[in-house]
Amino acid sequence: MSKEVGKADLTSLAEIDRLVHEPARLAVMSLLYVVDSADFTFLMNQIGLTWGNLSAHISKLEDAGYLEVKKTFKGKRPNTTLKLTSQGRQAFRDYAKRMKQIFQDFNG
Amino acid sequence: MNKINLKELERKAFLSTYQDGLWDMYLGLIVICMSFCLYRPATGYSPLNIVLLLACMAVACALFLVGKKFITLPRMGQVKFGEKRTRRMKTMALVLGVVVLIHVAFLGIQSIGWRNPEFGATLNAFLQEKDAMDLAVATLGSLFVGPSLILVAYFMDFTRGYFIAAMIALAVFLMIYLNQPIYAIIIGILTITPGVVLFLRFLQKYPLHREETKRE
Repeated sequence: MSKEVGKADLTSLAEIDRLVHEPARLAVMSLLYVVDSADFTFLMNQIGLTWGNLSAHISKLEDAGYLEVKKTFKGKRPNTTLKLTSQGRQAFRDYAKRMKQIFQDFNG
Repeated sequence: MNKINLKELERKAFLSTYQDGLWDMYLGLIVICMSFCLYRPATGYSPLNIVLLLACMAVACALFLVGKKFITLPRMGQVKFGEKRTRRMKTMALVLGVVVLIHVAFLGIQSIGWRNPEFGATLNAFLQEKDAMDLAVATLGSLFVGPSLILVAYFMDFTRGYFIAAMIALAVFLMIYLNQPIYAIIIGILTITPGVVLFLRFLQKYPLHREETKRE
């Protein structure tokens, strides 16, 4: 079936997971995807985000069920450990697959 | 544009845990500790050699652990690596276990062989001169230490570890062959120096985030 003239098929772009697509959150998810878990300070140092910025992104990912956040104390210091949930891992894989497909489709 | 390679990302995160230079300082101190034990003065070995070695190694180990816990971790944060890294560490433990068994077997065969009159006579004839004996023991000592440390460096992805392995093997060789602790001390200092530089850089690069951790 031929496509409608003058109308490109861009529907796949709208299906991109915007929660993962944001650069800072993508960095957080990429790093947590390759490790088992990391604490807040480690992520902050590796990604180069400020505390407030990282905290906001983490809250969004946690609300979506992509991140598991464990708050504990190490002595008197609070320690926040972050881990991707299986849903988060799947979301990251789907996102990577979709983006790869989109860039392949762009080749004309 | 840089490609994002997930394997490389994991490796970079892993390597960042060596940026504090503590391993270099710890291994350098161990080399200096060895000089206390392997140095054989004209009077021969004394229990003091062993006591000094154990005391110095305990101090080096304590300094390393305290440094990791109270300096590195609060600044850099903590990370737990995935299944692949854990498997790699388990393989390293297994390989090192086999290496130790080979060392023990070698020493056992050697000691049995030495008692065998025929073999002992051949060996003694070959190593008649003190120089040849020292050379053989020094070579064996460095061959015991060097390859084991190279294996550790390989499994731990610790690139500077190859340099440290070569330095320690050289230290063992010179200590035994020339019977002077000064070589081990110099090599120990040469190993510690890059560690100190890295440690100072680490302190600058990763300041303590007191306020942030309070609010976490």
